[in-house]
Amino acid sequence: MSTTTASNGERAQPILFRGIDEEGLHTLEVYRRRGGYDSLKRVLDAMSPADVLAELQASGLRGRGGAGFQMGKKVSFMPAGQMDKYLICNADESEPGTFKDRELMQKSPHMLIEGMIIAAYAAGANRAFIYIRGEYQAQADILDAALVEAQAEGLVGERILDSDFELTLVVHRGAGAYICGEETGLLDSLEGKRGNPRLKPPFPANQGLYQGPTLINNVETLATVPHIIRMGGAEYAKVGTETSTGTKLVSVSGNVQRPGNYEVELGTPSREIIYGLAGGPPEGRTVKLWFPGGSSAPVLTGDDLDVPYDFDALAKAGSMLGSGAIIVVDDSVPVVAVALKLAKFYKHESCGKCTPCREGTRWTVSMLERVDNGLATPMDLDIMASVQEQIIGNCLCVLGDAMAMPIGSMVAKFRDEFEAHIEAARTRNPFGDEQPSPDPVLVQGAAA
Amino acid sequence: MPRPEIHMITFTVDGREVRAPENAMLVDAAKLGDVEIPVFCYEPKLGQPVGACRMCLVEIEGIPKLQTGCSTPVKDGMVVITQSERVKEAQEAIVEFLLVNHPLDCPVCDKGGECPLQDISFGWGGGRSRFIEPKRHFEKPLALSPLIAIDRERCILCYRCVRFSQEISEDYQLILAERSADTYVSTFDGHPYVAPFSGNIIELCPVGALTSQPYRFRARPWDIEGAGSVCTLCPAQCNVELTVRDERVLRVLARQHPGVDDGWLCDKGRFAYQSVHVDERITRPMVREGGELRPVSWERALDEAAGALGRAGAQSAVLAGGGATNEEGYLLQRLAREAVGTPHVDSRAGGGPGRELAAALGAPALQATVPDLEHAHAVLVLETEPVDDMPIVDLRIRKGVRRNRVRLAVATPRPSSLDRNADVSVRYAPGCGEAFVAALSAMLGGEGKNVDELASSAGTTVEALRGVTGVLRGVEVGEGATGSDEAGPRDIVILWGERLTQGRRGAAAARGLLNVAARLRLGGREGAGLLEVPVAANGRGLREAGVLHDAGPGLSEPPHGEMAAIDGLELPDGLARGDLTTLLLWDAEVDAATLAAAGTVIAHAAFLTDALRAHATVVLPAESYAEKEGTVTHPDGRVQRLRPAIGRQGGVRPGWQVLADLMARVGATQDPADPGAGDPRVLTGPMASRQLFEAVPVYAGLTLEELGGRGVRWPAREQAAAWPRADAGPFGLEVPPGPVKANGDLRLGTFRSIWAGPEVGHSPALRFLVPKPRVEMAPADAQRRNVTQGDHVTVGHNGAALHATVVLRDAVPRGTVFVETDALRAGPVDVRKAPPRAGPPAPDPAEAPS
Ligand SMILES: Cc1cc2nc3c(=O)[nH]c(=O)nc-3n(C[C@H](O)[C@H](O)[C@H](O)COP(=O)(O)O)c2cc1C
Ligand code: SF4
Ligand code: SF4
Ligand code: SF4
Ligand code: FES
Repeated sequence: MSTTTASNGERAQPILFRGIDEEGLHTLEVYRRRGGYDSLKRVLDAMSPADVLAELQASGLRGRGGAGFQMGKKVSFMPAGQMDKYLICNADESEPGTFKDRELMQKSPHMLIEGMIIAAYAAGANRAFIYIRGEYQAQADILDAALVEAQAEGLVGERILDSDFELTLVVHRGAGAYICGEETGLLDSLEGKRGNPRLKPPFPANQGLYQGPTLINNVETLATVPHIIRMGGAEYAKVGTETSTGTKLVSVSGNVQRPGNYEVELGTPSREIIYGLAGGPPEGRTVKLWFPGGSSAPVLTGDDLDVPYDFDALAKAGSMLGSGAIIVVDDSVPVVAVALKLAKFYKHESCGKCTPCREGTRWTVSMLERVDNGLATPMDLDIMASVQEQIIGNCLCVLGDAMAMPIGSMVAKFRDEFEAHIEAARTRNPFGDEQPSPDPVLVQGAAA
Repeated sequence: MPRPEIHMITFTVDGREVRAPENAMLVDAAKLGDVEIPVFCYEPKLGQPVGACRMCLVEIEGIPKLQTGCSTPVKDGMVVITQSERVKEAQEAIVEFLLVNHPLDCPVCDKGGECPLQDISFGWGGGRSRFIEPKRHFEKPLALSPLIAIDRERCILCYRCVRFSQEISEDYQLILAERSADTYVSTFDGHPYVAPFSGNIIELCPVGALTSQPYRFRARPWDIEGAGSVCTLCPAQCNVELTVRDERVLRVLARQHPGVDDGWLCDKGRFAYQSVHVDERITRPMVREGGELRPVSWERALDEAAGALGRAGAQSAVLAGGGATNEEGYLLQRLAREAVGTPHVDSRAGGGPGRELAAALGAPALQATVPDLEHAHAVLVLETEPVDDMPIVDLRIRKGVRRNRVRLAVATPRPSSLDRNADVSVRYAPGCGEAFVAALSAMLGGEGKNVDELASSAGTTVEALRGVTGVLRGVEVGEGATGSDEAGPRDIVILWGERLTQGRRGAAAARGLLNVAARLRLGGREGAGLLEVPVAANGRGLREAGVLHDAGPGLSEPPHGEMAAIDGLELPDGLARGDLTTLLLWDAEVDAATLAAAGTVIAHAAFLTDALRAHATVVLPAESYAEKEGTVTHPDGRVQRLRPAIGRQGGVRPGWQVLADLMARVGATQDPADPGAGDPRVLTGPMASRQLFEAVPVYAGLTLEELGGRGVRWPAREQAAAWPRADAGPFGLEVPPGPVKANGDLRLGTFRSIWAGPEVGHSPALRFLVPKPRVEMAPADAQRRNVTQGDHVTVGHNGAALHATVVLRDAVPRGTVFVETDALRAGPVDVRKAPPRAGPPAPDPAEAPS
């Protein structure tokens, strides 16, 4: 993937993707030659965990996995005391449109490993896991190979770099469920249980994996840590905006000419990313709508292209930065098709534990199918909007909201198109014989 | 872990100030202010809330999002709103969501009329539906097991049943399969959910998704009445509510007593009510005529019985057992001692320690309660398998270990289902409980040199013992626990099986146990002590009522002075010697050989066994517990009240009345001059209770009203001071005879499964669980004898032999085999392949878990 950093017209240095395509970067040798593990050495030689924490806090680094919570603050929640503490790297990357962690792990696995060791040191964790989505077989293999190298060099395990610090690190592959990227669902899955979210509180920092204190961060968040040590937290904070510091990997996909991952300075105008870097929609097409932060983010329209790409500006525009994945939909695509595809994904991925998400996603899909088949009326759009409102804020985890927010925003912003779609489909299918297929009998039960 | 202290705080709910215990969940705290927050998935019995259904959303001042009241602990000054527009909208939304896929087939649903989903839809729902899509469909109903039907369309996925299976009974069978709206409750591979406590999920289910197969379509809530009583099918004496329609018991539900059952029932207690109404039940008196038992009038049967007892006098023996009430026990020993004039009275067919030791073991200061099991620092399970012997206590132990990190040691001859939960499990040779407690006592007392010898005579090791003392003293296992208890006394509960003190050396074993208790300083310590698992359901009550060969009511000196009484253990010998000729069995079972040796057998029983059919002279029909009134005493000393739920079936008469009649009749024959001589003056059940309370000093002043629905633990009453003083050790202990070295080098251990007992066999729904005779053995032992899993073998023992099927169990110690039987006693045994039988072997019933 091509990598570029853009900042308000000026070009700034890439941080994560600097030389990412260098041949052999995934090996310890090349990574080290380029200065890899120097940050770790500096940390273990000269810094206390509190020093590291102070740098993380000074950097202002916000989580790159979706919620944008300050990493330094999360580390500071880890309780003191002698016990097993855990660090988990969330590499489940299942949010539709998101593929940045994959490139990072594939091309520079040691950057992640180094970041994890430093983060574990700061958090007082002695056991670490990389929970990687099952489909990322190749990346898991690369990480495993890198881990073997790191262990052989005394970078992971007991007495790391001859210090007193000890850390075990295990790569664990998931089995293909979006919900296992939600941090507490991930914990259950890692413990070998069905991947269902847990009630919070207790938060993972207090009672996480095996009831122990646990720090969970996204791949990109952790991979940034060595750079913060190298640059110094204050220096890192100078990149980006005041409340959205640093650079962000953005996966751009959909109707653009140059889809891919781009590293941008936070605060870059969105138009610059979508048009400048990704080349915008094909000739003659315009942006109808776009998801700024993965499929869970409320959609923005062509009118919002000048919103700066950072956490707060996007929130102010009614959406979110989320996982940092821009999906562009141009005017050739019916909004109903987008909504249906999306709703089906969430219906399929809902864990089914809590009522509003389980029932609301299924209901929404049924309604959208009727809209698509001309079996709906505009009143159904009101019901659909209301169902989304009934989901938002009422679920156990935010998967339900992750469907309801974008669907709600689509219905609100493209109501005319939905109504026109219904009209057109009704004309096409006047007798309703193009029926959405009802669910078949789902299971043949146990003993009769 | 000691019980947590409770601080009261003040919070506001819907404008009212309410005092509540800090950290109570909002839904519970709100109740204290008469505010109801609807819930589906919340059930505190199941442990931590899961927050799945979202029905309980409320507004809390200062928190922007609505919060689940079931998982939010209340804090001082919290302001909670359950009546705002926002909350109302959320509640209506959840009800609407729950109903979109719900079939609403209430007219044909067993739950209709007592359905939380109906109630909450009515109370909190919007009353309309906007859902016009096709609903989710499942095949329905299906048999989740022979006892439970599942209708997956009605399931609201509240997780209760699955949590029960995973976290309460820990049978780990129920799971949720698939995800999203396709999620359904199932066992992993679709096998039937058969487990000792499975029926609880029916009661837990907030909808009609899980229904009782035997109860299905039998009644509607407006057809039935609930009657509270106590289940007397085992010593756990769970509090139950019997569902009655037209004088028939149709269902048994838990009546939730935290001091007794924690709101659970085992499947025996839940389904064996069926045996109340089966045709096999004896409902008329019978007398043997022409070699056969024939129905006769009560007058005739009572005359025959009274005549036989009166004639035999001191050559009669009386044995009580099972669920006989305290009143029956009291009247029975009066009948024997006052009217018949015989000292041979007992309630322990297996014998046991004498009066003094029994008093020491039952001393109020040494009694632990059932809830103590859950809050103790450590629990020792000794010579009992709770799930078989007193099932509901098994759940209590699991709860303590899981939630309060109670440390658990298990010491039994047979592998225990609690081994997985235990910090330490030790095995000793069957029948060597005495040596084991002696060794444990020596270990605790730091008598190093004795320990070796005692351990080996118990068939165990010093390391194993050290593990147990380590758990009890709170030393890390493996750290080499010493005999000292520097850390001071701890809350330790020893749950011990009466089997330990049975047999000829029962007294020595009792002394050993008392020594252990003394060395752990359990006496007088709140939250610590002994908790016995008696063999008979009302074993404790019968003893306290005076049904002991050497003790009268309240373990007083028996009235018969120097006359030596024959106890239950010696009964067969007494009959063989001819010292005894006539036997009155009151809900007690003895083997056929013993019956055959008696000239006259008068049996008060609910079912005819083969032995009774062959040997009984007079049979008096016994009440089922659903028909009984009176009291029973729980092993932890709680006197509980039985109340009749239905009228007596057929010609069945109350036990107290039968005994009073017998006394009057025997009395009249003894002294023709005074026809009223023997009359005990008991005209009603409550009169019998009153006599009992007057006669047993520690029950003095109790009234049936006071017992009410919750019972009263007498050891906690002032009157407990009247308990006979007894020496509670330490005693000097001898080295008991070592484990029997068998010629065939196999030792026999016996056990009794939860599914044993006539009530299970006579309940159609439970019959499939009746265990087939099986012999459990270690694979290596089986291999050496050339037998393997499923083989038919004979298990021989002193000439006696029984047929059984081999079950290989890795956990069975080598050199030992276990057979479920009351017929053989521990001892050397031989296992041989049985000659092939004609026809295919009967298929094993669904593996009865034990
Ligand atoms: C349904 C769902 C899926 C998620 N999937 C991911 C994921 O694949 N990767 C990830 O890093 N975070 C994911 N998250 C966010 C995590 O819960 C968590 O916030 C994040 O891993 C924290 O890391 P960060 O602070 O470094 O962002 C998901 C959240 C939800 C609700
Ligand atoms: S919101 Fe959806 S995914 Fe999250 S717990 Fe509820 S059902 Fe499961
Ligand atoms: S579970 Fe309740 S609401 Fe559902 S069909 Fe049965 S009675 Fe009706
Ligand atoms: S079967 Fe009943 S108890 Fe089990 S999840 Fe469904 S509704 Fe809840
Ligand atoms: S009762 Fe609170 S979420 Fe179910």
